[in-house]
Order: sequence, then structure tokens, then C-alpha cells
Amino acid sequence: MTGPNEDSGGTVRVTVDQGTCIAGGQCEMLEPDTFLIDDDTAVAGIEGDGWLPRDRAEIVIERCPGRAISIIEE
Amino acid sequence: MTDTPTTPNVTDASLYLDGIPHDRFAELRGVPGLVWHPYGDDDTDGGGFWAVARHDEVRQVSRTPEIFSSAIGHTNLWDLEADALEARRSLIDTDAPDHTRLRRLIAVAFTPRNIRRWEDTVRDITAELLDAYIDAGSGDWVAAVAAPLPIRVILTMLGVPIEDADYLVELSNYLVEGTGETQSIPPDAFGNTTELRLLPFNSPASHALFEYGERLGDARRRDPQDDLVTTLVQAEEEGDRLSAAEYRNLFQLLVFAGNETTRTALSHGAMALADHPDQWQRVLDDPEAMMEPATEEVLRWATPVLHMRRTAREDTELAGTPIEAGQKVVMWYASANRDETVFEDPFRFDVGRPDNPHFAFGGGGPHMCLGAFLARLEVKVMLEEMVKRGLVLRRTGEPARAPSNFVHGVLSVDLAVDATVAS
Repeated sequence: MTGPNEDSGGTVRVTVDQGTCIAGGQCEMLEPDTFLIDDDTAVAGIEGDGWLPRDRAEIVIERCPGRAISIIEE
Repeated sequence: MTDTPTTPNVTDASLYLDGIPHDRFAELRGVPGLVWHPYGDDDTDGGGFWAVARHDEVRQVSRTPEIFSSAIGHTNLWDLEADALEARRSLIDTDAPDHTRLRRLIAVAFTPRNIRRWEDTVRDITAELLDAYIDAGSGDWVAAVAAPLPIRVILTMLGVPIEDADYLVELSNYLVEGTGETQSIPPDAFGNTTELRLLPFNSPASHALFEYGERLGDARRRDPQDDLVTTLVQAEEEGDRLSAAEYRNLFQLLVFAGNETTRTALSHGAMALADHPDQWQRVLDDPEAMMEPATEEVLRWATPVLHMRRTAREDTELAGTPIEAGQKVVMWYASANRDETVFEDPFRFDVGRPDNPHFAFGGGGPHMCLGAFLARLEVKVMLEEMVKRGLVLRRTGEPARAPSNFVHGVLSVDLAVDATVAS
């Protein structure tokens, strides 16, 4: 899952709004390879390049309590 | 307002002595739109509220904090006067940006990655309590396991010396009384001189907890340790990050929330496993596959916090019902967790639910339970350690329930050891 269009739903790039992230931890639980909450800044950062299959990206967006995750439309 | 005489009452605390009034909530879920629920009187506590009973709408309220505020009025059913609200304000009764600032100060300690560091601590405490229970053979599960387990864990995380644990458990228990209708201690208990309405839970025990928290904070300022109190006092010293009042209220909140809510989950969990031996057998047969769904089902089943309230910041609409600015909107997690349109056969305790989007930690918005991953860990470790011992529980009595429409509390419940695997 490192590039676009690897599965039928396609992959998308996600980003975190550092202003609204409350470090709720849902993203780190659901997608630990993509999201990690930084111990110093207390906001979620993206590990790697932030590509996720679209269906998994949608779940993590829906579960984010701060509504801080979105898809980068290119 | 549609104040109809047929509105099923769900706030009478005495109802909850027999458990959650699920039939009444089912009725509320069946009404299209929202139901106006009378409450108290307009002058002293702000009157009635819109009852939000369905899963979908609880989620909408929770995830739209711009409209459904936590900072106006109160997050409990009754309004507080402005000075009381301000004095008692914590993480729970703030909106962004205050909420974001306070939450981030403490949230790092509760991320999935950082909570995993406590797994051995949780396991040691759990093992000790379970072994003692098995040796005794029977007894009140709340006093023996469900109460001491989470309080010992949170106090360890905070940095409270173990010899003070009993005192803080006692104080926390008095706070629980404050969510009901009677308090067993006088207003001046623990040397309290503050008006009760200015204290969290209207309880003099809050005064004692504040004093304790301040003493511990002073000690950590002088001699920092690797614990949560040190993290908090360092944030306080960095100037505008945390005020003294915010520190007090946060310390108090952590002691209470870390004690009462997980206790409830572990109590209802053990009762459910005793009452549904077929479901516990599924876990015993295949713990690896069943541990995660069983943990989530225990949380859904327990729903430790029954509701939270928001207040409309502006005129809005939900489920086709117009809501006026200033009106109360109450999210009934107890009802959403039995919503038949989301959970198949919601009144069945089923440890194998493949998808379990329960609201045991709130409706998915920014006020999501701070301790969610800690609570999950505690439930999961309790189940794992029970499996390891082949522990089968049997119910020998009816639970004594808390007379509260806010917490799904179990004061005591007698269980017995039905079987264990000799180890």
C-alpha cells in the first residue's frame, strides 16, 4: 500500500489537521503504520508517505474524534 | 415545544435500581424526530431537554461540537450557575480551543502506544486480585476485583503512593454518591468550607481530593518523577498551559474517571460472563480470536456512562426536529448501545460481534473518553487472566445498583467460583 491504485478501491493520501487533532488515538489504534501521536507535540503525525486504501482511509476519517483527518485530493 | 404527557420518563434515578429502563428507551428510539423530556424546573436547573436516543443522532451531536456545546450550562442534566460552572470547569465542560489545549496536555499519556507500557502493571494487579478471589471461592466481585483493579492502576499512573490508595478510593466513592440523590457526609466533611455548588459532584470529598492533589503536586514540583502528576505540574509551571484551578479539576477528574467507570465495566462484564456461560465458553475455547470482540462486547453491554448533555449554541435541527439556541440536548449512550438498527439482536450478549461500533466511550466526538485505551486494556487483561485460570463464575445474588441516571454503577454483586483449571 505505498502507491496509488493498488487495489480495487484505489489508494488515497491522508493528512492530519494539527489544529484540531486532540490526540484521541483512534488513528494510531486503527492504522499504526500510518499514524503516530507524537509524545512532544501531542498531535498525530503521518508515518511514511500517508497512502492508505480508500476504504481504510474512510474508516479512520470517520472514527477520528477531532475530525482532523482528510484525504489530500490531487 | 412538544411536551407530551406520554413522554417516557428516563431520568428518575430510582428507575435505575432495577437496571437501565430499556423499554422506555426503545420507546424513545421509535419516535421519529427527537422527544422533549421534562426535567426539574426552568428556574433552578434550566428545565427539560431533547432526548437523543438513536445511535446515528448521538453520533451527530457528539461530532458537531461547534453547535452542540459542552461549555454552556453544564454537561449534566441540570444547569449550573455561572460561577459554579467556572469553578468546576474541567476537560469535560470545555469547547475548543480550551478543550484542545487541556486535552493535549494529558492525552499523550493515554495513546494506544503509551498505554501498552502499563500492560505488565495491569496484569500483575489483576493476577493478584483474581488469585485472591479464587482462594476465597466467592464474594462481592465489586469489592474484591472490579473496584480495586482500576483504582490501583490509575493511582500508579498518577504517582499516588500505594499507602494512600484506600483514602482516595473512599473519596472517590463519596463523589459517586454526589451523582445520586443522597450524600452520606456533611457539607463540612474533610474540613471543607467551600459552598458545595462550587465543587465537582457537589461533594465535600472534592475539597479533600483538591487538597490531596495540591500536596502531591507540590511534592512533584520539588522532586519530579516519571508520573502523570509531574507532567501536569510541569505544564502548570510553563505559564499559560494549565492554571491552578485546571490542575485541581483535572486531578480530581482522573481519580474519579479512572476509578468509577472501569469498575462498572468490570462488574457488568463479570456478571454477563456468569449469566451467559455459553458466551464465556466461546472465549475459553478460542481466546486468541475472541479476546478483542469479547472486550468490545463487555464495553457495549456495560455502558458505564449512561448519558452526556450538550447545549445548542445556535438554532439548529436534528432528525427533523428544530432545536433552539440554549436548549439542552442529551445523548443517551445507554440507548444508542441497544439501537436495533445498528446492533443485530442488541439485547443478546454476543462475544463474537464482528463489528461493534458502541458508544461506551462517547459518541465519537472530541470528548471521547480519555481513558478509552486504558479501560480496554483493563477489560482485556481481566478476561485473559480469567482464561489463563479457567475461571468460570456463577451468580449467587442480585446486584445492588447505584440509584443514578448518569453512571451504570454496581455497588456490589455476589458471585462464586464455579470452576478453575488447576494450574
